[in-house]
Amino acid sequence: MKHILVIDDSATIRMSVEYALKEIGFPISQAENGRDALEKVNSIKSNGNDIAVCVVDVNMPEMDGITFVKEFRKGDKFTPVIMLTTESEDQKIKEGKDAGASGWLVKPFQPEQLVDVVKKLVR
Amino acid sequence: MIKSKNNEFGKDLYILYPGDHYATQEDCVIGTISASCMVICLYDPIRHIGGMGHFVIPGAMGTEGIYRDEIGSHGITSMEYLMGEIVKLGGDRKKLRAKIFGVANVSGVNSWTDGIKNSIFTFIDEYFRVEHIPIEKEDIGGDRRRKLYFFPRTGKVLRKLLENNQDSSEFIKMEQEYINRVFKEKNTYGKVIVFE
Ligand SMILES: [Mg+2]
Repeated sequence: MKHILVIDDSATIRMSVEYALKEIGFPISQAENGRDALEKVNSIKSNGNDIAVCVVDVNMPEMDGITFVKEFRKGDKFTPVIMLTTESEDQKIKEGKDAGASGWLVKPFQPEQLVDVVKKLVR
Repeated sequence: MIKSKNNEFGKDLYILYPGDHYATQEDCVIGTISASCMVICLYDPIRHIGGMGHFVIPGAMGTEGIYRDEIGSHGITSMEYLMGEIVKLGGDRKKLRAKIFGVANVSGVNSWTDGIKNSIFTFIDEYFRVEHIPIEKEDIGGDRRRKLYFFPRTGKVLRKLLENNQDSSEFIKMEQEYINRVFKEKNTYGKVIVFE
């Protein structure tokens, strides 16, 4: 079974992303920072399941989103990772791309747009 | 936002205009004047980092909950801008405390319908409850403008109630322009990039 992993330090954002992505039909797991997310990835994979897509905030305590992508990519080159953030500067976006992100959405997000991007990237 | 050095506090003073946010760990003062917008002060009392946001949600919400609501999600995003700066400075989201001001109906100035005003109150209640951020002080509503000075390292706030046309009345005009802008742009979302 493939899981969607929603990673954001804000509980309200995690809930709105989960609500938006419900229609895709995959089970959704949440993590509140990059470190927490890496643990979730391990536990999902060690239960014989897989990740369909990660939706990741950038500014988080403990481990930020860019660092998470770098760490995640060490063990997984292909699963799409979508950054969902208030950061919109070109330099930051390039950092995300270089780290291995698949897409970049700036908050506030329109639920339909997030669903479209997820559907486009998850094949 | 402007920075001024000459003030009664003997510290740098950052004055926020409607729509602005600022977070810092400097020993400074952050000030603003609000009529109908909300002013959110957040601080981490352990790491001595704090910030202020001056904003509003762009309309009345439905009853589904703020995270299922388009208007609510704009408010959540405004909070994210402020919160993101605090997190970047090393503030601990789990230690944050809030002090909240504003949302007055001042005669002759922008005046909220009951629907919008109740939505703002609902937003505040629900956001801080879901995020587990305790509200230490909530001074909202009424019919007077508020002049606020926030000390981000300690969380102290000085508040003065203003007469309608007293003191820096240019804020009234700026607030109205800001409100008009966010209400007009409430269907505008952030950019979407898919890397090839
Ligand atoms: Mg964040």
